[in-house]
Order: sequence, then structure tokens, then C-alpha cells
Amino acid sequence: MAATTLNVDGVMLFEQPFARVPYENYRKVFRTSQKNIEKELGAIQTAASELARKARSGAANPEDALRSIDAMMKRAEGLKKKLNDLQTNSGAPTLQVIRERLQHLAAVEDIESVRSPEFARWADTRLDRWLIDWTLRHGREKTARRIAAQKGIGTLVDIELFSDIRRIEDALSRHSCTEALAWCSENKAALRKVKNPLEFELRLQEFIELTRARKLMDAITYQKKYLIQWQESQAVQINQASALLAYTPISAFGPYKRLYDLSRWQTLIQSFRVAIYNLSTLPTEPLLHLAMYAGLASLKLPACYNQETTNIDCPICDPDLGKLATEVPFSHHVNSTIVCRITGKIMDSDNFPMAFPEHGTVYSREALEDMASRNEGQVTCPRTKETCHFADLRKVYIS
Amino acid sequence: MDASLKELAKLEKLASNSSSSKGKSPCITDSLDSLIRSLRDTRESIQTGAANETTFSGLSQKVDSTKKDIDDRQKEIYNSLAKFGKALDKRFTTPLPSYQPLFSSPEAVAALERTIARHFLRTGQFETAETFISESGVNVDPTMRSHFLDLHRIVTALKAQDIAPALEWAACNRAFLESRSSPLEFHLHRSQYLRLLLSPHPSNVSEALNYAKTNFKLFYPRYAADINKLMNCMTYAPRLQLSPYADLASPALHYDLEPMFAKEFCANLGMSRQVPLRVVGDLGGGGALARIEKGRKVMRERKSEWSQADELPIEIPLLPENRYHSIFACPVSKEQSTDTNPPMMMSCGHVITKDSLQKLSKPGGRVKCPYCPNESQVSAALRMQF
Repeated sequence: MAATTLNVDGVMLFEQPFARVPYENYRKVFRTSQKNIEKELGAIQTAASELARKARSGAANPEDALRSIDAMMKRAEGLKKKLNDLQTNSGAPTLQVIRERLQHLAAVEDIESVRSPEFARWADTRLDRWLIDWTLRHGREKTARRIAAQKGIGTLVDIELFSDIRRIEDALSRHSCTEALAWCSENKAALRKVKNPLEFELRLQEFIELTRARKLMDAITYQKKYLIQWQESQAVQINQASALLAYTPISAFGPYKRLYDLSRWQTLIQSFRVAIYNLSTLPTEPLLHLAMYAGLASLKLPACYNQETTNIDCPICDPDLGKLATEVPFSHHVNSTIVCRITGKIMDSDNFPMAFPEHGTVYSREALEDMASRNEGQVTCPRTKETCHFADLRKVYIS
Repeated sequence: MDASLKELAKLEKLASNSSSSKGKSPCITDSLDSLIRSLRDTRESIQTGAANETTFSGLSQKVDSTKKDIDDRQKEIYNSLAKFGKALDKRFTTPLPSYQPLFSSPEAVAALERTIARHFLRTGQFETAETFISESGVNVDPTMRSHFLDLHRIVTALKAQDIAPALEWAACNRAFLESRSSPLEFHLHRSQYLRLLLSPHPSNVSEALNYAKTNFKLFYPRYAADINKLMNCMTYAPRLQLSPYADLASPALHYDLEPMFAKEFCANLGMSRQVPLRVVGDLGGGGALARIEKGRKVMRERKSEWSQADELPIEIPLLPENRYHSIFACPVSKEQSTDTNPPMMMSCGHVITKDSLQKLSKPGGRVKCPYCPNESQVSAALRMQF
């Protein structure tokens, strides 16, 4: 039962986002380079064929040709510089992050025992990563930055991504959709692929704000420009929204009142968060929560909540962790395990349990022998103070 | 991770965008440089008046071929990126499970914040703790903070082979240590004595002897045998490794002081010997979540609910150091003992739960042990308290 071999698959279950976030970042860098290439080279191509066409028809004028060549050269050099900058400032660092993370994961694949000092160090770093993830998700960015700096693990955590998320969320809580809409347009293709309606929801909110301010003409223009294109998938919502032109926030009722409700901004923050976590392959729950859920459930026993049987070494017996553990199920056990309350050791056939004859309190042979050797054969139960001779203890058989 | 690293190396080579990076197509910088050269040549030939129709159609072709080269290169990078993505897919086959929001009630958040703040203090990250406490406004007992500062000061000294601060603490808390029959104070002296005895300068033997005389006296009643051994081993110093006292030469005798000290120090403050967040995190992130998810999946496939909604359907293996409580599962009924159904020992020493005992009892209040030939009175059974 005592598995000291490291369960690599169990470890890796948590690490998918760790490897994927920088991979997605690199894909973004690649897309940017592709966009630049298409734009600039496309323009050069058009200019060159235009020039060739003019030369063929004899309409070429050396001055125009020179101007056109200069423009092409400027574009080509600009593109070269842009691509180089992109590679130096984003591409190469992102690949470096991917490399460091994969190497960090490769290191744990080679560790055999959970008792090895290598694993202890690795698990320390992992807990630091989880704490950074948690603090970032809970808006404690200074703490996150400090851990990262002190432990030198800046490449192993996604501080920039989260501070971007926070920036956009802050804007939404100030009732501004601009930042979130900019993010949507950057990730248009990916959002469309997963059929995420976040952009529509944001547009709808901007429309609602126009009707709330009774800027009806602006609202109608806005509706035509930004909402109608969603007609196919969001017809019902668009129809409902149109009615807001007729209802003021005070006269609105039912679904219209709900559209005017300011809590809609809170919902938008949630939707945005789900969308960006989804696109960045981050789980919606902090990794620390997932690890704690399973860890607490592995340890939780009714004994942890009984004053008489608490053990200060047990994490669940700690009032705070015990409080958190109320959200998880109890652990399941098929076999008996008897732990000595003096030595903390598990008793077995060599170090068998022995009971005091009167009150039936049980301790390990080792603990009682040690006590007897120091007290001329007398033993005293630390719980009941029952005292007897070692020879009067009763051997207990647990099968 | 090897496969992913291999694909990554290929991608890095292709993306580095230098002439040395080999690919089927030339690197983008080279293609653009060559295009810029052609443009410059064309420009010169226009200026010298040598440009004609072929110059321009040649340029147009050059642009087309450059575009093709660059597109090819991008395609290569794209394919390499896709291959790398596939290698990741292969390595990470199971996505993280999604749960209903956990630990989100205000009380739970406060409890978790206190746990995290204590974690920073306990692991000696005092500055981080400061930042976190001011950022989240969590309440941490200032005396606890000073306790942790003490702990780190003393452990740092121990690491540097200075036992004085640890001894001072042990002397102040002697009654507590004795009540736990902790050998800490004696082991601190033992370490100091052995250091003196085994130091490379032979003159220290007398110093060691003096140290023993002044410091071991107090411990003689409890550790007579150990002290005799320590005195006898002097005959063999400094070559203890080859003597019958080789165990006293083990460096572990000194290293073990740090965890032993930390354990006693924490116990004195009513805190656990291990770092609780690490214990919980290592368990959860070391296979427990994977097992729980597997259990859930099996349950879903069988379309059955957990028999006990509030208990995991599977057992998570635990290391001996993570066993904090006794668990008694009745060998007859397979049920875990409870307060109302406690474990009972029959006169032969075998233990079963009260319910099982009553089911097995025969008229006259006698019961035959299911594990041995012994027969005894039910009323003679002793309730066990583990």
C-alpha cells in the first residue's frame, strides 16, 4: 500500500496547462508573423506586377518606377525588421519558456521515489507555481511577483497572461467593454471555432448602455453596425434588445428589466474569464484547489473532527484546513491501520499493539517497552493515567 | 517528455531565422535580403537607364519566387509547430477535470488565505508573507510570526553547526520535551560532543571529555547506556567508522537534528511536524486526483452513484508518514468502527466490532472467536481505544 514510487501520470495530470500556455503563445507569435508577411509581401507583389505590366505596355516612366522600387524596398526592409524584432522579442523568449518548462517536467519523469530530495525540491517549486496561480487568480499580483522573483521561477509561471486578464476584467468592472472587445478581435478565429458568443454579449452590453442613456439614434446605428451580423445565432436576444428602445430602465419588466440589470456586468466578467481560460487551456479552478480537493479527501476521516482523536500532525485536524475539507468527501479504507499515539508509528506484527487492561487504551510495543525500561517495568497511559506493570498489558491481535 | 523536446528542438532550429538554420527552403531573412538586393539592382539599372521590359518582368518573377520561398518556409515552421502540438497531445491525454467552484465561500477563502499566509511564514518566506498579508488583509497572529522567525533563526544556526540557540530553546522548554520523552536536548549535546571528538585536531579529545563531564550529567539517569557508549567510543577516536561504534560516526546524527528540532518546536506551538500545504498538495498532485477521477469515470460508466455519497469510492494509498489516525475495519463485517460500534477485544486478544460481537454471541452470553478456538463471555470483551 505504501507507494513510494512516483506516480508520474498522476503528476502530469496537472501539467497540461503548464506546457500548453506558452505553446499557444508561440502560435500567436507565428500568426502575427504570417499576417505581416501576407500583408507586406502581397503589397510588394502587386507593385512589382503592376510595374512589369506598365513596362510591357511601354507606359513606364523611370521616375515612377524609381518611386515604386523605393516603396517596395522600404516594405521589404520594414518586413525584415519586423520579423526579426518579433523573433527576438517574442518568438525566441517564448520558445525558451517552452523549453524550460518541458525540461522541468522531464526532470520529474526521471525521479523514482517520492522520498528523494530531488522530488522534495521539485514539489516545492510546484507548490510555488500553484500558489502563484492562486494569487494571480485572486488578484494578489504583488505576492505572485514576489514568489516568482525570490524563487527565480519567472519562466515557469504566467504572470503576464494573468495581469492581462486582470486589466481587462478591471475595465469591465468599470463598465468599459473596449478592452475586452479588443481581446475578442485578437482572438476572433479561436472564439468562432469554439462558438463562444462573448463578443456578441459585449456588443449587446454596449447597446444596452446606449438605451439606458436614452441615446436612441446612436443605439439604432450601433445595432445595425454590430448586432445584426449575429442575427443567425442570437435572434431572440436581438429582438429582446430592440424592445429596450421602447422601455426605459424604470418602465422595463421581466426579461427587459434583466437586460438593464447592472449585475449583467458581473456575468460578463465571468464569461470573459471562462473564454480566456478556455482559449489558454487553463482550468477554471485554480490548480491549488484541484490538488487540495484530492489531497484533503485522501486524508479526511471522522477522527479529524473529534476533539479526543485529533492529531496536531494531521493537516485536516488544523482548524482552517479542516474547514476547507468540509467541502470534500471522506477517505475510504478497506483495511485497519493502527497508529501509535506515542510514537506515531504504524503498528504491525513486530511492533504489535498492546492494551492497558482497565481502559483498553492501545499503544505500540516499542513505546511501552521504552517506557517500562525507564520506570522499572511500570507503564502509564498518557490519556487515562492508568498505571500497571508491563507484564499486565494485553497483546492485541488486529487481523 | 522526450518526444516533445525533440520536436521543440526542430522548431527552434527552423524559427531561429538565421542562415545556419537548415530547412528545405531558405530562411526568411535570406530570402528578404536577396529580394532587397534585386530591388537595389533594379534601382541602379533604372538610374543608369539600362532598365527595360525584361528587367521589370524579371523583378516581378523574383518577387513571386521570394514569396514562394517565404511561404514554403512558413509552411515548414507551421508543420513543425503542429507536430510539436501533436507530441504534447500524446503526452497529455487526459484534461484536468472541471469541478464546481471550490473553496469560494467567504469563510473558505479566509481559511485558505490564513493557511497560505502561515505556509509562507512556516517555510521562512517572510517577505513574501508580508506582501501577502498586506495584499489580502488576512489576520495572522503576530506572536506566531515571531515564533516562526525564531524557528528559522535556530534552524539556520543548526545548519551552520551552531547548536547554542537550539540548546537555549531546549533548556527553556525542558519540561515540555520531557513530557514527550523527546531526546532532543541530549541529542544536541551528543552532536556537539562527537564533533569535538572527531574534529581533525587530536587535542580536542580532552575538550570533548570536559564537555561530556559538564553536560551529560543531567541526562545520566535516562540515557545511561547511550552515555556509556559515547564515553567508550573515545578509545577508537578518531577512526570510529572502523570501530564497533561506527553508528556514532554517521553524519545523520547531526543532520537529523534540524528536522527533530523543527518537529519539537512546532509541537510545542501546537503545529504539525510536516508543512501541511505540502502534504496535501503532494498527495493531491501525486496521483490522488487521477485516482478519484478514474473512480468517478468507472462509476459513471456503470451508471451507479457512490454508495456513500460523502465518501470516496476508492482508497488512496498513503505513506506511513501520512497516517495520522488509527482506522479499524472490522474483519467480520468489513465496516469501519464508530463511536456507537466500537472495536472490542475478546479475551483471546482478537478484535472485532461490537455489532459483529453481538451477532456472533450465543445463548448464555458466550462467543466463539472467529479467528481462534477460544470461547469467552461477551461481557468480558474490552472496548479498545486506539
